[in-house]
Amino acid sequence: MSTHAATKTFTLEYVKTIGLTTNQNGRGFVNPYDVAFSKDGRIFVLNHCDSARRNLMRVGICSYDEEYLGEFGKGGGPADDQFSSPVAMAFDSRDRIYITDELHHRVTIFDSAGNFINKWDASGSGDGEFNGPAGIAIDGQDNVYIVDQHNSRVQKFDSNGSYVTQWGEAGSGPSQFNLPWGIAVDDSGQVYVADWRNDRIQKFTSDGKHLASFGESGEGDGQFYRPSGVAVDSDGYIYVADWGNERVQVLGPDGSFQQMLRGEATLSKWAHDYLNVNLEEKETRAISNLTPDLPPQYNTPHHISSQTEPYFWGPVSVRLDGEGKLYVTESNRHRLQIYQRA
Amino acid sequence: MVASQKSPNLVVIQLIGANDPLNTIIPYGNPLYYDFRPNVHMKPEEVLPIDDDFGFTPHAGAIKSLWDQGKVALINGIGYTNPNRSHFRSMDVWHTAQPDKIATEGWLGRAMRELDPNAENVLTGVNFGRGLPRSLSCRGVPVASVGNLETYGLFPDLKDEQEKHYALEAFAQMYGGAEAHDAVIDFLGQTGRDALKGADILRTAPAKYTSSVEYAPNGIAQSLKNAAQVMFADLGTRIYYTSYGSFDTHGGELAQHASLWDDVSGAVSDFYADLEEHGREDDTLIYIWTEFGRRIRDNGSGTDHGAGGTAFIIGNKVKGGMYGEYPSLKEEDQLDGDLKANNDFRQTYTTILERWLGLDAGPIVNGRFEPHDFLDK
Amino acid sequence: MSSQEIGQMAHLLRRAGFGATRDELEEYVEKGYEAVVEELLHPGDPQNLPDDIIRRYHTEQSELRLADGAAAYWMYRMITTKCPLEDKLALFWHGLFATAYVKLNQARVLLNQIDMFRRDGLGNLSTLMVEMSKDPAMIIWLDNNDNHKDAPNENFGRELLELFSLGIGNYTEQDVKECARAFTGWTLGNAEYMASRASRDSIWPYSRIAWHFEYRDYDHDDGEKTFLGETGNFSGDDIIEIIVRQEATARFICTRLFQFFAADEVDEAGEQLINSMVQSYWDSNHEIRSVLRTLFNSEYFKSDQARFARVKGPVELVVGAVRLAGSYRTPTQGIEQVARQAVYMGQGLLQPPSVEGWHEGIEWVDSGALVERVNFVAHEMSNVNNPGVRRIIERLATENGGVLSPEKLVDQCLDLLGPVMVSDSTRKSLVNFAARQGDLNLTDHQTGDDAEQRVATMLGLATSTREFQLA
Repeated sequence: MSTHAATKTFTLEYVKTIGLTTNQNGRGFVNPYDVAFSKDGRIFVLNHCDSARRNLMRVGICSYDEEYLGEFGKGGGPADDQFSSPVAMAFDSRDRIYITDELHHRVTIFDSAGNFINKWDASGSGDGEFNGPAGIAIDGQDNVYIVDQHNSRVQKFDSNGSYVTQWGEAGSGPSQFNLPWGIAVDDSGQVYVADWRNDRIQKFTSDGKHLASFGESGEGDGQFYRPSGVAVDSDGYIYVADWGNERVQVLGPDGSFQQMLRGEATLSKWAHDYLNVNLEEKETRAISNLTPDLPPQYNTPHHISSQTEPYFWGPVSVRLDGEGKLYVTESNRHRLQIYQRA
Repeated sequence: MVASQKSPNLVVIQLIGANDPLNTIIPYGNPLYYDFRPNVHMKPEEVLPIDDDFGFTPHAGAIKSLWDQGKVALINGIGYTNPNRSHFRSMDVWHTAQPDKIATEGWLGRAMRELDPNAENVLTGVNFGRGLPRSLSCRGVPVASVGNLETYGLFPDLKDEQEKHYALEAFAQMYGGAEAHDAVIDFLGQTGRDALKGADILRTAPAKYTSSVEYAPNGIAQSLKNAAQVMFADLGTRIYYTSYGSFDTHGGELAQHASLWDDVSGAVSDFYADLEEHGREDDTLIYIWTEFGRRIRDNGSGTDHGAGGTAFIIGNKVKGGMYGEYPSLKEEDQLDGDLKANNDFRQTYTTILERWLGLDAGPIVNGRFEPHDFLDK
Repeated sequence: MSSQEIGQMAHLLRRAGFGATRDELEEYVEKGYEAVVEELLHPGDPQNLPDDIIRRYHTEQSELRLADGAAAYWMYRMITTKCPLEDKLALFWHGLFATAYVKLNQARVLLNQIDMFRRDGLGNLSTLMVEMSKDPAMIIWLDNNDNHKDAPNENFGRELLELFSLGIGNYTEQDVKECARAFTGWTLGNAEYMASRASRDSIWPYSRIAWHFEYRDYDHDDGEKTFLGETGNFSGDDIIEIIVRQEATARFICTRLFQFFAADEVDEAGEQLINSMVQSYWDSNHEIRSVLRTLFNSEYFKSDQARFARVKGPVELVVGAVRLAGSYRTPTQGIEQVARQAVYMGQGLLQPPSVEGWHEGIEWVDSGALVERVNFVAHEMSNVNNPGVRRIIERLATENGGVLSPEKLVDQCLDLLGPVMVSDSTRKSLVNFAARQGDLNLTDHQTGDDAEQRVATMLGLATSTREFQLA
């Protein structure tokens, strides 16, 4: 990856890691799926968990300096402020956070203090109805784009929640989707969809006209295996959470390959807190090689990441904060790796 | 109500996930506690004092009231040498009374085999919860595991009472006939008839039960209510088991721990009141345990896996007080950053087995251990 | 297609797999018995439910941090596999080389071990046993990470001989010592850190780190060893080579396979079959596939006496019921509850009670376990929305003109559920139950109506029989 970076003007550099595994409420994350940033710079982290540990589902809030600030939407369940399988989040211009839930077939809106405001929860396949809402993105005019995964489409709503339009159908051609997941919208309102099981990113105009498709199945540069998340910066660079390949790739505005990241997490502040009171782990960790050479039966990206702690593992989402820093959310390592452009 | 003289009952409550002893019986008089717990502590004015050194968490107020009546023995510094800090392994050590190797027979299962050698009563031991805790597991010893007493038994999905009646009747017929030529089929028949019998008997318990005690809607309170229902129905049950958790408070400990102890303390105190209302306080002993303690030093938000812990023995026949030594917090006295246990958990088992259930403890706990004095000989 | 052929194929699939629906059995019978045996012995791509789908919709089964998630993952594999013998045999090896979560606190490495059983379970026994000896879960489980050149730990060496191959009485204490020396230096990467995390159940800071084998040359005792009468500078690989050449090993492995696949109890005819299996073991240079081929194609196995001669283990029972009901074929909330049902019945996947595995046969069943068994199977089979139940209803409705007498209802249900062979008295009880409501009319049935519900209740009751507890 460094060879590519050296010949291009585009380079992402590692900044830091936030996170810690937890099996309780409070500080730490549990299978995080997405992040979002409030106007005052707080980081909202969506703890997805799964059905066996739904009591830990919640949105946790922390600062960039790793102060744990609180949580809401706790407990897993049918109530308005609870989740069943929450997938993605986005803030609108009024600092309200929208959260999708693929099992409740619901989009729930909270204020930035975590108070329930509203929900869109019509399930079905008609206009404005959902079957497994997944990725969500909100543009500068507060239009809301939602990936409606089992209906194989994107739906667009205006800032009042009124249905505007939709596009997509099942399949593998242009404007067709196979279990799509993440979505992003750029400054000019163009929409990017992580077409998960078609191993590509599709780009559309804000009303759904197909513009381009990037990528194909594979492990090479510019190829994807089950991409789950996408983000676009103000220069048009496209960041892709290449989930099945356990990596992040950056494409230029024209879709050309720019850089591949495999991950280089370091210890978060919370991780230091833990190791400082568990010294035998700290000491044996100090003599360990956490990027080992592995026997051939473990040579898939998923196995390699399972054995290599600094690497991305389950990189579900990529998101940019207000300063353009890239946050990679890793569901299997319960942390956020943060990168920025050099 | 006149106290009865029935066979002694043992009610075991397992606190799953390792309860933090330092925030349960709090050494609030010791400045080291506050040094090691800058983030995860109870303030001195919050503690319910036992004396100038120690006090209960305010979230165990109801148990503190029983303590004030002299009905609670605290076994501080309980554990075993070479402590294992893995939940499952350490639970198994306690379940099987065997720290040195992986064993499969539970100490209560063995006790039940002594109490009912011919397995005549399928309800000698009842677990309130799904699955079988290894404490109760012993080959040839029947145990009923009751998720919910109201719906316990065969065919809980059949909602129509008449349909269910006929289905159970058909089941009884199908498992009734001895086929003589096939030992396995006959064994299955006997087992099926036992299962029906156990369920039939257990189902009678809720109907017979009346009480002025109103248990809280949480899991531990409902389990203890079910235990009371079975006990007062006089089905010959001697061992009652239930568990609650998770006490694994690595993060956000203060909030979690408070809520867990509110539940446990409230449930135990309601259960005790129920015992008194039914005159069963003299023949019931409550034993509360957890698999290990937690790190002395907090991790900023919670506490990690440690060693020595605190167990509770509660009952009218208990000599209340502090047993075991409360382990020192001094660096030089710690065991790798943990409280060092000073009394083996099998001493407590031995006390319960010999002085409460009247059994020879040695073969059950895999050795001879000095009993405590929280029960009279 | 004769009922004898269906019955025989159902028997094969109960033993070499987790049972089969009537539609599946008819397809198998078309292929012929020996062809099906060969197909089972040569698994291809098993995945009806791909890994990426499971991992997207069950985050815990992507991470595999805990035993319940890992057990649920394996349940999916057993419920949906196209190659049932592969997983059935993995379950056999899991019971024989029993390794448990309790000491490891690492669910993923246990599943990696199960993967190894899938990969090597049908092949050469020495390959399997070398891989098993290098398996990092096994290494921590039996303390081989503490087996050092200067301070041998005999735990793995002893169990290898006593429980995994020769059996007690076929080696000396000296053999155990020499065997342990040969495995010194066989450890796992970052052994100290991983052992420390295992013993503390640590998931911090960033969850589990999976394990891999590491050979530490400096910690290996390369000196001369005498083992089972042979002398040399043996390594662990050499020890395995000697072990698989022993008559006791051949007999031990074949007997265990017989008990798992043919019958709980070994009678005289069974001894004859074991002799044939041992001969296949030698003829094939220690290949498990050949041994199983001999077993499944034997007259003993195909005879009536081998039918229903085993008590179904809890996992077999649960998976069999779910496959019959057709549920859990796609990601389904609550799959971990299915794994937990087997725990309630006494068999937690990845959680054998000790290195000796589970006590099988009638020891699977006590009154508490029987209640769980009956209730779980009845729950699956009496849900008219389950695809397998719907299919049975469709067949009943079309094959009988839609009107069934109580006798016909009972006989058809028992037939489509297996066929399950029941005693006259069991059949009579079921008929009595059905007769209360007279003939069943399915001619205009609608999903969930009373007529369908009668079938579902009958299916629930028919699978509650003692006969259904047997495989």
